[in-house]
Amino acid sequence: MVQSRELTKGNSDSLLLCLLAQQPMYGYQIIKELENRSQGYFKFKEGTLYPALHRLEKAGLLLGKWQILPNGRPRRYYHITARGHTKLSAERVQWQDFINAVNLILQPAED
Amino acid sequence: MTTARHHYLEIIRDNLRIDLAEEKEVISELETHIEDRFQELKQSGLSEEEAENTCLGLLGSARVIARQIYEAHSQGSWCQALLAAMPHLLFATLFALNWWYHVGWLFVLLVMVIGTSIYGWWHGKPTWVFPWLGYSLVPVAAFGLMLPHLPREWSLLTIPFYFLLALWWLFCIVVQTTRRDWLLSSLMLLPMPIIIGWFLTLVPGAKITSETLGRINYFAPWIALSFLILALTIAAFIRLRQRWLRVALLSISGLLTLTLVVYYAGGRLSIQTFAGLTLIMWGLFLIPPLMEQCLRKTRRILQRYALFTPPHR
Repeated sequence: MVQSRELTKGNSDSLLLCLLAQQPMYGYQIIKELENRSQGYFKFKEGTLYPALHRLEKAGLLLGKWQILPNGRPRRYYHITARGHTKLSAERVQWQDFINAVNLILQPAED
Repeated sequence: MTTARHHYLEIIRDNLRIDLAEEKEVISELETHIEDRFQELKQSGLSEEEAENTCLGLLGSARVIARQIYEAHSQGSWCQALLAAMPHLLFATLFALNWWYHVGWLFVLLVMVIGTSIYGWWHGKPTWVFPWLGYSLVPVAAFGLMLPHLPREWSLLTIPFYFLLALWWLFCIVVQTTRRDWLLSSLMLLPMPIIIGWFLTLVPGAKITSETLGRINYFAPWIALSFLILALTIAAFIRLRQRWLRVALLSISGLLTLTLVVYYAGGRLSIQTFAGLTLIMWGLFLIPPLMEQCLRKTRRILQRYALFTPPHR
């Protein structure tokens, strides 16, 4: 559990960008979605989510917009920007390289 | 809203110290998050109190969230850093190039200071406006210096009024700034002990004579250097994220610049004067936070009063 928390902490920006590239979401929805999609592996500490979202927004990677839900409640939806997409693409390549390298190590050596 | 939730959001609000419009958005966002989680926990069978406590526990320390959001918002761009350092740079240039005796340049600088301060004040008070705002107090001080040169009867009449008005003006600006963040008040008033130090060196008897101009000419490079240090300090301040680093930067740089002024004044400033200026410098870092505490207390009392006042029918 500690390991997964550390992994989430170290990769929170990539995870958020990846999730929001699929559809705009608000804070609470992001936490639920991450938890559901990773089958409970990625558990975001709720208080750390908003500083991360605001940091990404300040960096121009996300854009927050207030929207009213059908039940009349306002929610701040985060949209990924063009700059965010570029950053995500670069990080995807890095991740893919890392996964390939780890797989190569994990595979039993061929004689 | 329950007391626990209200108290939690109040701690966040007190420690955010960001632009007021942004502060409102952050609080609304957290409020909606708490409400969503609270409803979910209540539906799962928890009592209202349990749901509230669990919900706030899941969010974590209010102070830590506020600090992290402050750090996300606090760092300005390089362009903002340059804009914030600009008034100090302009004053440094004025003395470095010996333009200080050209009335035209002084007038241009004055218009720029007042114009930029007014523009920034009415456009959301961004962090870069506060150094400009500090310099907008210089014309008030300069006007005060001219008063003793008026005919005696006029001086006696105008000086008390002037002091009251100048102090009221200073108090209003400091209160408004402290409402946002006490550190910005310190940032705004940082040049004050430096300017007083140079003033005491250049105009020892508070009387401007022909010797004064000669002295300004002689000390101009060092005056320029002290303003240049201030400009670099402000630029670094804008780029830093962490609050404790910002406080350390302002206090160390302020004290260093003051020491530089006393050193280059070459015996024109006594140890007592240096001690007095150091006290003023520390006052800049002690009075605004105390003022912030008082303003918060007043706000809470007013809020409590508003909560217990029956609504108008």
